[in-house]
Amino acid sequence: MRRWLVPPPFPNMAAMSVNKAGPGATLDTGPRHSGSRGPAGAAVKVLECGVCEDVFSLQGDKVPRLLLCGHTVCHDCLTRLPLHGRAVRCPFDRQVTELGDSGVWGLKKNFALLELLERLQNGSAGQYGTTEEAIGQSGESIIRCDEDEAHVASVYCTVCATHLCAECSQLTHSTKTLAKHRRVPLAEKPHEKTMCCQHQVHAIEFVCLEEGCQTSPLMCCVCKEYGKHQGHKHSVLEPEANQIRASILDMAHCIRTFTEEISDYSRKLVRIVQQIEGGEQIVEDGAGMAHTEHVPGTAENARSCVRAYFSDLHETLCRQEEMALSVVDVHVREKLIWLRQQQEDMTILLSQVSTACLHCEKTLQQDDCRVVLAKQEITRLLETLQKQQQQFTELADHIQLDASIPVTFTKDNRVHIGPKMEIRVVTLGLDGAGKTTILFKLKQDEFMQPIPTIGFNVETVEYKNLKFTIWDVGGKHKLRPLWKHYYLNTQAVVFVVDSSHKDRVSEAHSELAKLLTEKELRDALLLIFANKQDVVGALSIEEITEMLSLHKLCCGRSWYIQGCDARSGMGLYEGLDWLSRQLVAAVLITINLCSEHT
Amino acid sequence: TLSFDRMFVQVCLYFYCKCLWRCLKFVVRKLTGRCELQRICYNIKPGASRTMKIAETSLRGSKNKLLQTSVGVHLDAIEKTIDDIMELKKINPDINPQLGVSLQACLLQIVGYRNLIAEVEKLRREPYDSENPQHEELLLKLWKCLKPDSPLEARISKQWCEIGFQGDDPKTDFRGMGLLGLYNLLYFAEWDSAVAQQVLSDSLQPKYREVTKEELSKISKAEWEKKKFDKAIGYSFAIVGINITDLAYNLLVSGALKTHFYNVAPEAPTLSHFQQTFCYLMHEFHKFWIEEDPLDIMEFNRVREKFHKRILKQLQNPDMALCPHFAASESLVNI
Repeated sequence: MRRWLVPPPFPNMAAMSVNKAGPGATLDTGPRHSGSRGPAGAAVKVLECGVCEDVFSLQGDKVPRLLLCGHTVCHDCLTRLPLHGRAVRCPFDRQVTELGDSGVWGLKKNFALLELLERLQNGSAGQYGTTEEAIGQSGESIIRCDEDEAHVASVYCTVCATHLCAECSQLTHSTKTLAKHRRVPLAEKPHEKTMCCQHQVHAIEFVCLEEGCQTSPLMCCVCKEYGKHQGHKHSVLEPEANQIRASILDMAHCIRTFTEEISDYSRKLVRIVQQIEGGEQIVEDGAGMAHTEHVPGTAENARSCVRAYFSDLHETLCRQEEMALSVVDVHVREKLIWLRQQQEDMTILLSQVSTACLHCEKTLQQDDCRVVLAKQEITRLLETLQKQQQQFTELADHIQLDASIPVTFTKDNRVHIGPKMEIRVVTLGLDGAGKTTILFKLKQDEFMQPIPTIGFNVETVEYKNLKFTIWDVGGKHKLRPLWKHYYLNTQAVVFVVDSSHKDRVSEAHSELAKLLTEKELRDALLLIFANKQDVVGALSIEEITEMLSLHKLCCGRSWYIQGCDARSGMGLYEGLDWLSRQLVAAVLITINLCSEHT
Repeated sequence: TLSFDRMFVQVCLYFYCKCLWRCLKFVVRKLTGRCELQRICYNIKPGASRTMKIAETSLRGSKNKLLQTSVGVHLDAIEKTIDDIMELKKINPDINPQLGVSLQACLLQIVGYRNLIAEVEKLRREPYDSENPQHEELLLKLWKCLKPDSPLEARISKQWCEIGFQGDDPKTDFRGMGLLGLYNLLYFAEWDSAVAQQVLSDSLQPKYREVTKEELSKISKAEWEKKKFDKAIGYSFAIVGINITDLAYNLLVSGALKTHFYNVAPEAPTLSHFQQTFCYLMHEFHKFWIEEDPLDIMEFNRVREKFHKRILKQLQNPDMALCPHFAASESLVNI
């Protein structure tokens, strides 16, 4: 077994000669041991890390690892080196070594140095180990014949207690009495009996079983009968020894399985590291030709996944930016065209006016008769002028000349130009939840007598810089399948729940669940109005959230629950506030001359 | 200063006109020997046009306190008021016996209309209470009238949907119109049962859209099925009834129904007059719905609005009466 502790003749043997300069050079830089190449024991101390001056070890923190430049540093010191991106610099010559995903762990161990280390350690241990080994080995393989040194023994005479070869055994035991000696093959040679240390003439035959004697349990018949183990419990030596042997075998068996488990586990670790890192794999193709193939590791896959996601995001952003810019372009173009047209019109108007003035002036200077004759023409001219002036003032009243271009951004990165952003909202919920009442409260700030809505109501409500077009669809059973006609292009769904009607919350839950599976409403915001909070005994917001299991149902979409009371209007505008916060990414930005100057 | 001048001129013009009007009235009175009330009563035939004229121009516009307040008196005090007016206007009741009667009828109509509004409003404000056995009885009676052949299995049941309520319990649908909705529906089902049954069965029967062959070739079968399905959703009897109650209520409160009631009721209009109007509106709306042939129920509000406008236009004609034609109504009609 022992021999196998030494690494089997490994492939690095060849590399060793190449690498020889590596560790050597490193070690030479160490100031403490220049030239101290004494006996083996001292040499072990020579193999120290050039940075921390601790002795290298075969495993653990102090294992020597090779850098790209050829220098060897212990693992511990490598982990302490500052990282430059994904690389470290050699502490001796500042050369850069790229690290893989596993960092310092990915660097190769200096196997040549490791082997050297091991040899040195074995060498020092061997000082006292060799004799033992020699005995064990020679005892096993070559036992000389006691009769003739030149012969090799093969049998053992149990009576004479001598090792004999077959030839000498015949020779020496040829007499009648000696021939009766029992001779056994060497392998079956009985163990020599050990003598008791106190009674030299007696062999040890028993084992004491007393608790107190476990330090020296062996005894001979004298010890047993009269000596210090007198009256102690005991058993016979041989079966006891056999029993211990059996238990050792058992243990060995256990250890074997344990080792297997460990090696299994470490194999798994290796495989997983490989899977993460990826790398070259040799694959045989159909023609039997081996070629390497690059297998991407999971790390690489994850990275490419991230890259793909962000490039997608970039693309979308670019597209959105282009679209937004084109919206601005169109707006600017239209506005400029209109302004230029106005400019043109004004020029024409100006020329018309000046022509009229000229005409008037000319008429003034003419004689009386002509002035009278021109009267009709002049009146007509003045009339047209008056009409034009009227038109002009009307125009000026209507149009505000303003260079500002108010820009608003929606959350989905669309741009909106103009003071009001239009938003399509659909109000849904069970019958009698208060949808229509909410709508009319928002629209006219008055409490309408609620009657069952058949079909739908639609109103526009302006709030802040938003213009909500609210579709209120009846909640009757029969109408619910028709809800889907109102989903298209809907940015938000307002779902109204009657908080005072405990029995119908589960029905509302199932309707809401159905609603949320609709494809058209995938990106729509969800505002839940817990209506009729004014009623005594109404469910609280928390209870409704719980009963509708909103956290589960609306997972991954933006939703909000708002308590309200459509009668007084309490809470309605808070809901709209939330909607506007969700829809508008940035506050209204007005781009005008002032902001250009700053 | 210009606007001030303009205002001043307007004020002057107003007083001038008023003065002129009074002068004219005075002159006419002297010439004919009759007061304005007499003239209206003799020249205009009874009905909405006479009552309206008396109410709006003569009484309300009068400078006399008694005449002004006469439209607001209690029903029981009317006779005394008439006597007072006769005395004030120095009209001898023995010479003009007809005047007192006509004037009394007109006043009864005017005051009755006002009282009817109050009565209807009171009913509307009374919410349906499922604890009240009277209310419950009325509701169950409604079922019996509309569905005499199939008994109601339970008070809270899916069956209510068959007559067009929204859910299992009709209680919730009466929210805005209160008992008024229930009274109206019941009256319709009870007294105009033939029409009510007709409307109910029409609302239940899915009316298939007739698709021409040419159209059929253009659309796929799935689309056709969808259209057929859309069409199959007719309106719901009960909640349409409640909606029409709202319509009738609005007509009443806005005063648009005055024409009808002054023409129909010889004296004070009562709740049954209002309920008959409701029956008429239901019947007419049903016909109108079929005429309009909307694509689906979602067009209800559009159709309702159009219907409302049509009724309003009809009521502008002073001779208009929204009379349902069924036996029970005959006795009440006065034309």
